[in-house]
Amino acid sequence: METETKTKKSALNRIVYKILNEYLVVVGIILFAVFTMIMEPNFMTVSNMGNLMRQFGPLAFVSLGMTFIILAGYIDLSIAGMFSLVSAVSISQANQYGAGRAILVGLLIGLAAGLINSLLLLLFGVQNSAGALFITYGMSLIYGALALMYSNGATIHLKDGVSGLEALGKGAVGIVPISFILFLALLALLFFLQSKTYIGRSVSYTGGNPVASRLSGIPVKRVTLLIFSLCGLMTAVGAIVLFSRVTSSGPTEGTGYDTNSIMAVVIGGTSLKGGKGNVLRTVVGVAVVTLMSNCLNLLGVSSYMQDFTKGIIMILAIWLDNRSGMMGGAAVED
Amino acid sequence: MKTNMKDLNVKRIISEQKALSALIVIAIFMLILKPSFFSGFNILTILKSASVLMIIGFGEALVIISGGVDLSVGGIMCLSGVVIIRLMDTMPMPAALLLAVGSGALVGFINGFLSVHQKTEPFVITLGMGLALTGICLQLSGGRPIYASKASFGAFGNSSLLGVPTLIWCMLAVMAIMYYLIRYTQFGRSCYAIGGDYEIAVYSGINALKIQWSAYVISGILAALGGVLLSSRLNSGSATYGGPTALYVCCCVVLGGTSFSGGTGGMIRTAIGILLFSTLDNALPMFSAFSANVYLQQLIKGALVVIVVGIEYYSKKLKRERV
Repeated sequence: METETKTKKSALNRIVYKILNEYLVVVGIILFAVFTMIMEPNFMTVSNMGNLMRQFGPLAFVSLGMTFIILAGYIDLSIAGMFSLVSAVSISQANQYGAGRAILVGLLIGLAAGLINSLLLLLFGVQNSAGALFITYGMSLIYGALALMYSNGATIHLKDGVSGLEALGKGAVGIVPISFILFLALLALLFFLQSKTYIGRSVSYTGGNPVASRLSGIPVKRVTLLIFSLCGLMTAVGAIVLFSRVTSSGPTEGTGYDTNSIMAVVIGGTSLKGGKGNVLRTVVGVAVVTLMSNCLNLLGVSSYMQDFTKGIIMILAIWLDNRSGMMGGAAVED
Repeated sequence: MKTNMKDLNVKRIISEQKALSALIVIAIFMLILKPSFFSGFNILTILKSASVLMIIGFGEALVIISGGVDLSVGGIMCLSGVVIIRLMDTMPMPAALLLAVGSGALVGFINGFLSVHQKTEPFVITLGMGLALTGICLQLSGGRPIYASKASFGAFGNSSLLGVPTLIWCMLAVMAIMYYLIRYTQFGRSCYAIGGDYEIAVYSGINALKIQWSAYVISGILAALGGVLLSSRLNSGSATYGGPTALYVCCCVVLGGTSFSGGTGGMIRTAIGILLFSTLDNALPMFSAFSANVYLQQLIKGALVVIVVGIEYYSKKLKRERV
C-alpha cells in the first residue's frame, strides 16, 4: 500500500519534471497570457486575436528559415541585409508591374542571396558557426548597402490597388489572416522536409557532428546549399508579407530580424551548438516573442520599458531553459 | 637562396597579419593618390575616432580569447554614457565616474554569472542583455540625446595633451595595461589556455570559472570607460549610440586576427583590426566617387570583411587538404 502511493507520487513527480524540463517556456508564456487576460479584458477579443496572428508574420517566416541554419550548426547574420534588399526591390516592382512579378522577383533575390552565402562558405571551406557569423555579417553589410543604393536611402510606399499583395497583407478568412494560413502551410511543408526526408534529417546530423556526418556519406555540401537558400527564401517571404501589411518599406527595414530570429529559435529550445531542435520549437519561440510584445502593449508598458522587459524575459527564458536542462540531467542520473 | 628566404618571410607575414597587410596596402594607395592623407592632423583624427572603439575592443578581445563573446558592449557603452551625464548634476565628478564605470562592471558580472557560472549560450544571453540595457538607456534619457550640464566634461574629451588628443592617451594607457595583463601575467596566460582547450586547462588546475568570469567583468569595465569617453567627446549621451557597436567591434577583433573560437589573438592585433575600419572611414570619403555615395563605403567594408575572413578560412582549408 505504502509503496503504491510512493510510486504514484514519483510518477507524478516525473510528469511535473518532464513538463518543467521540456515545456518550461510554454508554461511561462501561458501564465503570462493568463495574467494579461485578467488585467486587460481586451486581450481575448476577436480583433486582438486577428492582430496577434498578423503580428506573427515576418518574424515567424524568418525564424523558420533560421531554424535550419542553426540546426546545421551555422548562423546567418545576412538576414538583416537580405530582408531590406528584398523589401526595397520587390515593393518598387509591385508599384511598376503588379503583385505577381513583385513576389517572383522578391523570392528570386532571396534565393540568390542565400545561394551566394552558401557558395562563399563552401568556397572558403567554412564549417563552423564562427566563420559563418563573420562572412554573413560582411554579406549583410553588402546586401544592406545594395538596398540603400537601390532605394537611395528613402522609404518606398506601396501604391493602392495591387490586389494580390492587398489580399496577402490585409485579407482574412473569417478571423484568420491569409498570411497566417500561408505560415501554417509553410510550417507543415518545412516540418515534413525536416522530419520525413533524407536531406532534412541530414541537416540535424550535420549540426550534431559535422566530421562524423561527412565521413558517413551525408551530403554536407548539399545541406549547406539547401539551408542557406531556404533561409534566403523564407526571409524574402517574411519581407513580402511585412511590406504588404504596412504598405511601405524603409531602406533599413530588416534591422533586428537577424538577432530577433536567433532569439526566437533559441528561446524555442533549439541549441545554438547545432543538431538539437526542430521547427515546431521555433513556433513556440516566435509565439513567446510575439505574445510578449502584444501583452506588453495591452498592459500599457511604455515602448522604452518594453525593450528592457523583452531583454530581461529573453534572458530569463534562456536561463531557465538551460537550468531545467541541467535539472533533467540530474533526475536521469538519479 | 637568400631572396628565397625573404620571400617566405614576406609570405608568412602577409598570411599571419592580414589586417596589417591590408592597412599597408591602403596606406601605399593613399600615399600615391592623396598625400594629404598623411598629414599629422589627419592621422591623429583617425586615431582619435578609433580610440573609443579600441578601448571597447580590448575588453571584447579578452572575452573572445578566453572562449566567450560579449554582445552587450554596445548597451554598456550607452548606459555608462547616460549614467554619468545624469549623475554629474547630483554628485561630484569622481563619484559619478565611479558609478558609471561600476555599472559596466555590474553588467559584466551578471553576464559572467549567466554565461560562465550558469553555462548558458553567451551569444544570446549577452544579446538579450544588450537589448535590456538599450531599454534602460531609453528610459533614463527619455528617448533623446541628453547633454552634459558641466562644460568641463565635454572639454575633457576634446582636449589635447602635448599636441595629442587626450582620448588617444587614454587608449594607449588601456592598451599598455591590457597588453601587460594578457602577455605577462598568469591571468593572461590562463585566458589563452582556457580559450584554446577548456578541458585541458581545467585539468591542469586553472580556475576557469574565475578567469572567464573576470574577463566578462573587465570587458564590462572597459566598455563603460569607452562609453564615458564617447559621451565626453560628443558632450552628450544617447541610447542610439550603441546599436550595432557590439557586432562591429567583434568583427574588427576577428579581422585583426583573434580567432573567434578562442585561444589565439592579442591586443595589438585588435588595435590594428579597428584601425583598419577607421582608416577606411577616413580614406574613402577623400575620393569623389565615395564621398558622393555613402552606401558604397558600407559595401566596400562588407566586401573587406568577407575577403579577409574568407582568406583566413581558405588557407586553413588548403592546409587541411595538403594533410
